[in-house]
Amino acid sequence: MSNTENDFHQKLSDAVVNMEDAAAASLSQEVVASGFDAYEAIDKGLAKGMERAGVLFEEEEYFIPELLMCSDAMYAGLDVLKPHIKTDEQAQKYKIVLGVIEGDTHDIGKNLVKIMLESSGFEVVDLGRDIPPAKFVEKAVEIGADIIGLSTLMTTTMDGMRAVVDILKEKNIKEKFKVIIGGGPISPAFAKKIGADGYSGNAAGAVRLARDLCGVVQ
Amino acid sequence: MKDKMTPLERAKAYNQGKEIDRLPCVPIVGNTAARVIGAKVCELRGNGQLLAKAHVAAYRLFGYDNIRIFTDLYTLAEAMGAKLTVPADETAYLQTPALKDESEIDSLVPVNPHKDSSLPQFLEATKCTLDAVGSEVPVTGALTCPFTTASFLMGTEKLARMTLQKPEAVHKLCEVSLQSALNYAKAIIDEGAAPSLTDPMSSGTVISRKHFQIFSYPYLKKLIDYIHSRGKSVTLHICGRTSHIWDLMADAGADCISIDNEASLTEAKEKVGSRVRLMGNVRPSEVMLDGTVDDVKKAVEQCISQAADSPKGLVVASGCSLPTETPFANIHAMMDAVRAKGGI
Repeated sequence: MSNTENDFHQKLSDAVVNMEDAAAASLSQEVVASGFDAYEAIDKGLAKGMERAGVLFEEEEYFIPELLMCSDAMYAGLDVLKPHIKTDEQAQKYKIVLGVIEGDTHDIGKNLVKIMLESSGFEVVDLGRDIPPAKFVEKAVEIGADIIGLSTLMTTTMDGMRAVVDILKEKNIKEKFKVIIGGGPISPAFAKKIGADGYSGNAAGAVRLARDLCGVVQ
Repeated sequence: MKDKMTPLERAKAYNQGKEIDRLPCVPIVGNTAARVIGAKVCELRGNGQLLAKAHVAAYRLFGYDNIRIFTDLYTLAEAMGAKLTVPADETAYLQTPALKDESEIDSLVPVNPHKDSSLPQFLEATKCTLDAVGSEVPVTGALTCPFTTASFLMGTEKLARMTLQKPEAVHKLCEVSLQSALNYAKAIIDEGAAPSLTDPMSSGTVISRKHFQIFSYPYLKKLIDYIHSRGKSVTLHICGRTSHIWDLMADAGADCISIDNEASLTEAKEKVGSRVRLMGNVRPSEVMLDGTVDDVKKAVEQCISQAADSPKGLVVASGCSLPTETPFANIHAMMDAVRAKGGI
């Protein structure tokens, strides 16, 4: 019996949770060969798997080594699926400066957000990880960005997010940019507290948020 | 407020169950010591006399119960070939691990603390500090434990994957890291001080209890056995979540366990308070760095109410090393809050 699209999503998710990089890659190839949508396979398969791995981490079933191996499996699948994502053609390309805040070198979440934003027609400038707050502002001004996206996985670096908003306010340019934030320790309440424009707990949500803030008709 | 006893007198009386003027208190001062003498953080690294001057001055200013000679976690790894980034006025951090891949593990050589990298300067700082205030306060040298050093030698992510994929290679790294730690511990003790152990990568936030048993415990035990054989007691600090390994930290021989603010002193008292002294756990960032003097006072009072009656005793401390820019007023507030409570 051949796999339905849902079967593929479940198997991709399982491959990530079970740390099977070879399986994630071959399943992804089957997804493409079967003509199923690559974006959906990332969102409902690979990203879903990372989400489940994150829950296992919270529950102290998984630890850093297991999470790393899960992310290896996720990337193995992404490498296959990414070239097959159908890119939305928007009349106007909105620009986003994206990065992980200084002091943090975890970038799984940010990388997922980047891929899904790009596939939704955004132009993404990825600053990478461990980025000082001023650098985000500098780059956003330079390219005339619409959105600044900040990610962190560590509570110790959350202040850096506040610093980005504060720098924008100091320079009197806060109105020019929308600031969106996400990552493990971040909450909608924190976003509100520091004066960010939005929060998302996952990659697909970040895309919806970015579209809403730019006024893109869904 | 003035103390009536010196830290050494207090420690001795507390260990013997005699009356003390106040509980021992250790705001874990790291590079904040540079601020006390108006030096840049990078100047302390590699300058034993200045490092000693900073820590002696910080001790004299605040009057806490233990001096720990410390600049960053990477001194041992650096002496074994890791490359650091040393910013002018912030704490140094790992730039490039010592090894590209596990095929190079056999090329590693245990450190010679009297020759390699900045270790001789740390020993010099230990000696100078002992000369200045060793008759009144315990002086310790920060020593990074084998699993953590292994992680810095290989790169933390690579080592984490290896714990699942190539456990034998991890053991090889831990073994050579243990030899380095033993050599350095010997040198510190020969100077007349004691090592103060820190093992952040063994945290329950990073590895499971099972992996702690396999990769951290055997090497910690050997290191602690050696320090005990030289007549010194051992404080072991592990960051993050540790409640699931407190029993193993005690089994490894720690006399005092220093716990992070992610863990609960009340729970620690119940679980291992009869086996080890507890040290902790005021929040270093939220309270000590960003909080008010009143926040600090409340946090100290909470620690005391939670665990001052712990059978083996309590050292009121910050949950981890203080951030460099921690206001002096908050460090004074921590000491004063403990003084105000007296000998309990």
